[in-house]
Amino acid sequence: MEQELQWEPRVVGFLCRWCSYAGADLAGTSRKKYPANIKIIKVPCSGRVDPLFIIKALRLGFDGVLVSGCHPGDCHYQTGNYYARRRITITKKFLEYIGIDPQRIQASWVSASEGGKFAGVVSEVTKGIREVGPNELFAGER
Amino acid sequence: MNYLPAKDRDMEQKLQDEAKSLLEQERVDYIIGFEPGSLKFTTTPLITKNKDDVDRLVITPFIVNNLSVYLTEVKGRVGIVAKGCDSRSIVSLIQDNKVVRENVVIIGIPCPGLIDLKKVERLVGKDRDELDDITRNGDRVIVTVDGKGREFPIAEVLYDNCLGCEFPTPQEYDVLIGESALLVTDFTASRQKVETLEGMSQQQRWEFWKEEFDRCIRCYACRNVCPACFCQRCFVEESEPQWVLPVPRWQDNLIFQVVRNIHVAGRCTDCGACERSCPMNIPLRNLARKTYDIVGELFHYQAGMDKEASPLLTAYEVEEAEDFFR
Repeated sequence: MEQELQWEPRVVGFLCRWCSYAGADLAGTSRKKYPANIKIIKVPCSGRVDPLFIIKALRLGFDGVLVSGCHPGDCHYQTGNYYARRRITITKKFLEYIGIDPQRIQASWVSASEGGKFAGVVSEVTKGIREVGPNELFAGER
Repeated sequence: MNYLPAKDRDMEQKLQDEAKSLLEQERVDYIIGFEPGSLKFTTTPLITKNKDDVDRLVITPFIVNNLSVYLTEVKGRVGIVAKGCDSRSIVSLIQDNKVVRENVVIIGIPCPGLIDLKKVERLVGKDRDELDDITRNGDRVIVTVDGKGREFPIAEVLYDNCLGCEFPTPQEYDVLIGESALLVTDFTASRQKVETLEGMSQQQRWEFWKEEFDRCIRCYACRNVCPACFCQRCFVEESEPQWVLPVPRWQDNLIFQVVRNIHVAGRCTDCGACERSCPMNIPLRNLARKTYDIVGELFHYQAGMDKEASPLLTAYEVEEAEDFFR
């Protein structure tokens, strides 16, 4: 008998190369547990994340998007994360207006030393998106 | 010869004189303005270096185009006719280093609001070709059909975005033609469609846009008339990776509009050009206005108000809205 597979949230994480990606690495090396629902894409800086990436991820059927970068003031390029913050804030508001659950767009500041925080963020984000449910926005023809 | 509604002859003469002298004194290489269009009541952009052409320049309640879109294409020094919103678009282009202030002579027109021919048609129940005349008289508009004049409050025929106009007189200009204009506003009416959408559930909003973008034929008219959309290469035309298919499917149409609107955040002046250009009548201003409002609410920023200011998306405050950042 074929069993119906249980739905698991799929989350894309755009992690900045300097802080959050290293934070994710640290979470791994320190054997912190976090949900395997996140698929990580390394970006040079959170400022690299175009709103296009976020909507495209949703278009491809991902249930949520996490953008994570250095804490304000700690950006490797001084100001990249400040630009990212404005852009993501506008994107989230705008997508909500279009009719996309704002819970699907998540952001965090995780430094290279915060492996524990990273594990926590991923757990919370996954939990939040599990509550929102599967992304069927673009369902149908792909 | 095209029929044009009665208008302020004086202003038009001043504009023509000004344009002629700019060309004669060689202060500009080109003049960008409006001339009568091929369809009744309409106007069309006039771009010329010939001083004899300036007699064709007009000022009517139908000068709808945002001419600043040509500034990034026309080389050399340009004299440009600008309404309030257009002048803000020019300032925005200056902020983005797309236009050099010294190369532009802004001929400002205090704009009392533009008349939406579709609204007029709906009001009188006739096609524009059957109308004899549309005349504005202060806060009234007189539409003449079959020799009989019918009077309406001007607010009923102005474009939605004009009803929400805060700066009818150009913010930045070299010459101002005429006195500041009598502007009739109705901010509630201007935002009504956006508010209706805001009142819907998330699901309803998604269904609404899904349906609207099902009609989109991806002609890119909205992008091409938009002065804020000045990328050399638009993401929709990239092939490596191909973000969206060139085939107009609602999903990709929606992505195009979403990304376009976020990209022009802080540059959009709510001039309404995108919606007017849409051949499929998609209410694009509902998106543009929302972006405009989001930017205002979150960052207290209004596009094109200060040519020295950094563009919204290339600036930041150390402390600002980040309530959802974990």
